[in-house]
Amino acid sequence: MNARILVVDDDPALAEMIGIVLQGEGFEPHFCADGSLALDAFHSVEPDLVLLDLMLPGLDGIEVCSLIRAESGTPIIMLTARSDTTDVVKGLESGADDYMVKPFNPKELVARIRTRLRPVPAESPASLAIGDLIVDAAGHEVKRGEQKINLTPLEFDLLLALASKPQQVFTREMLLEQVWGYHYKADTRLVNVHVQRLRAKVEDDPDNPRIVMTVRGVGYRAGAAG
Amino acid sequence: MRRSWRRSLQFRTVAITVVASGAAIGLVGVYMSVSVGNDLFQSRLDQVLVDSNRATASAQGILDSSDAADRVQVQTVLESARTTISAASSSRLVAVFRVPGQEASTVAPQDSSTFGTSTAVISEELRREVQGGDGQHWQSVTLSTDDGSFVPGIVVGSQITVPVAGRYELYIGYSLADAESTLLFVQRTLGGAGLALILLIGGVTWIVVRFVVTPIQVAAETSQKLASGDLGVRIPEKGEDVIATLARSFNGMADSLQSQIKELADLSEVQQRFVSDVSHELRTPLTTIRLAGDLLYDQRETFPPATERTAELLHTQVERFELLLSDLLEISRYDAGSVELESEPTNLVHLAGDVIDGMRSLSLSKGSEISLVAPGGHLDAEVDPRRIRRIVNNLIGNAIEHGDGRPIIVSVDSNQTAVALSVRDYGMGMTEAEIAHVFDRFWRADPSRKRTIGGTGLGLAISLEDAAAHRGWLQVWSRPGAGSCFRLTLPRQANGQLTSSPNPLPPDDAQSGQPTPRAHEPRGDHFA
Repeated sequence: MNARILVVDDDPALAEMIGIVLQGEGFEPHFCADGSLALDAFHSVEPDLVLLDLMLPGLDGIEVCSLIRAESGTPIIMLTARSDTTDVVKGLESGADDYMVKPFNPKELVARIRTRLRPVPAESPASLAIGDLIVDAAGHEVKRGEQKINLTPLEFDLLLALASKPQQVFTREMLLEQVWGYHYKADTRLVNVHVQRLRAKVEDDPDNPRIVMTVRGVGYRAGAAG
Repeated sequence: MRRSWRRSLQFRTVAITVVASGAAIGLVGVYMSVSVGNDLFQSRLDQVLVDSNRATASAQGILDSSDAADRVQVQTVLESARTTISAASSSRLVAVFRVPGQEASTVAPQDSSTFGTSTAVISEELRREVQGGDGQHWQSVTLSTDDGSFVPGIVVGSQITVPVAGRYELYIGYSLADAESTLLFVQRTLGGAGLALILLIGGVTWIVVRFVVTPIQVAAETSQKLASGDLGVRIPEKGEDVIATLARSFNGMADSLQSQIKELADLSEVQQRFVSDVSHELRTPLTTIRLAGDLLYDQRETFPPATERTAELLHTQVERFELLLSDLLEISRYDAGSVELESEPTNLVHLAGDVIDGMRSLSLSKGSEISLVAPGGHLDAEVDPRRIRRIVNNLIGNAIEHGDGRPIIVSVDSNQTAVALSVRDYGMGMTEAEIAHVFDRFWRADPSRKRTIGGTGLGLAISLEDAAAHRGWLQVWSRPGAGSCFRLTLPRQANGQLTSSPNPLPPDDAQSGQPTPRAHEPRGDHFA
């Protein structure tokens, strides 16, 4: 079955063009041109991934993103003409997993979509410990004791990557490659924002992280188990 | 002290006033003192002369009316005369000398003097005068008192005739101690009053000047605050005098300044937003075109040759358009002054290595091999990696374009305060005229020269701005036929100041056996 992708963009020509590109790659595109109708479209289409433009009529793209994120972990890729840090960070903090600045290379778009949609690699062990959490790779669950913690697939991937190699310090570039599928020098803001979001969810005290530890000047590392 | 003099109007005014009035008061005081002194002396002198005259006259009367004949009698009558003089003159200092030059007499009493140790004050010239003429003669002298101190005095001398014995000089000494102490008292009082007056004048001047200087000081401080950027400061306007007028004018000027600057800021914001909006508006249709162009490009082999070529051209030109738009937006940000650095600790050697890796295939396709030489720069510097990456990309791209297939060397080095990255190529180089323009926007050395690697013409302009945003330098050395060297120097700390660069410019191998024009000091950003 082809992956369903919901394209939320108010420019009809661009939406159509994206649709053509996606179809050519074997995806099933659906469209929505108005922010206020986006959530309903999300419910009725039940996509595997959402391409979301930020400048939308009706409801702002950031709003739509938070609404969708509030109820689902479906991957969301922001499309934006704005590359300023504040706008990008705002979008990422509202729940987007990745962003693409217009104009973008269609091949790159497809590559990132595929990365978001790929299944969890089978070689990872069934359950891992990181800090005081138990990560169940196959079941896509993270528990602290008996309490389940809700993570989006991206956040889960990030945590899993760190937990799989507890002694390894991951640079931002390594994380971009492993979790986001980038194969070239890219914007490390992505990693920063998502680590913050992850910490907000899994850490007891996000200001004193024990699960996702920062290694100054290098990157991040999994906290010791137990 | 000198600083106070220079810096404080108040201090100067008060000092000048105090000194001037001090001098005036001093002069007046001295005059008064002298005058009083003279007056005291004169009146005492007059009194003394009258006194001694009377005493002498009464003594003479006694002498005249006596009929002493022998020595003892003469002595006695002289004694009584002396006593009379003492009583009449209220002076205990009486001296009697026989006038020399008279015939000797056996009954003449001896010279006597109650002056004591002061007898010597009766000077020769006074004696001569007294001996010579009639009337009284006087002289100012210094008498010594019993307790060893000295007081001023007057000695009055006249001749008396002692019966039988002859003529005698009579000297009566008068102390001026009282006059002296009165004078001293007056002087002290004058001095004290004068000092008090000076202090009072000083105080009053200080207060009065304060009234004038304080508003001026307020105006000066407010001007300073205004000049340093606080546009909201104003001077309180009170009253209707000159100071108030000054305040009003100042406030009017500040209002005008503030509104003009606000206008300019607003205008700049509007412009920046406009440019930003325009570029974003452009980006959406450009994305569609890009996607369409790429799609056609991917399928170009299925088209007839002309269409295939069309698809290729479309693809490359869309790419070029995209780059141009992106560069334009970037430079407009610099022009509007709205650039924010996102600095983080960055290892420049790694960064250079990454960029080189990314451009290696391109450079090899042109025949140039890029190598990285890094004696330093391995410790992090606080820079915006995205911008530095862009600069290095641009410099290496230019080196590949103009390198004539010869090797390209990237050197990174650092010192205490700075880190430097140089890109050296051995290609065609530039003339001095070309060097002067190389950082200009859209400037090409040889417009007819075919550009093989796409470029927007803004690369070096943006690189220069990026370097300047870091408070760093971007400089160039070049010589026709010997290649070029572009050197980027950045401070290690975000707020650092650059004084020197760890890399040499001209590069160490600038000599190449050909006659070399001497490298001179940088004009702006250029070495030649």
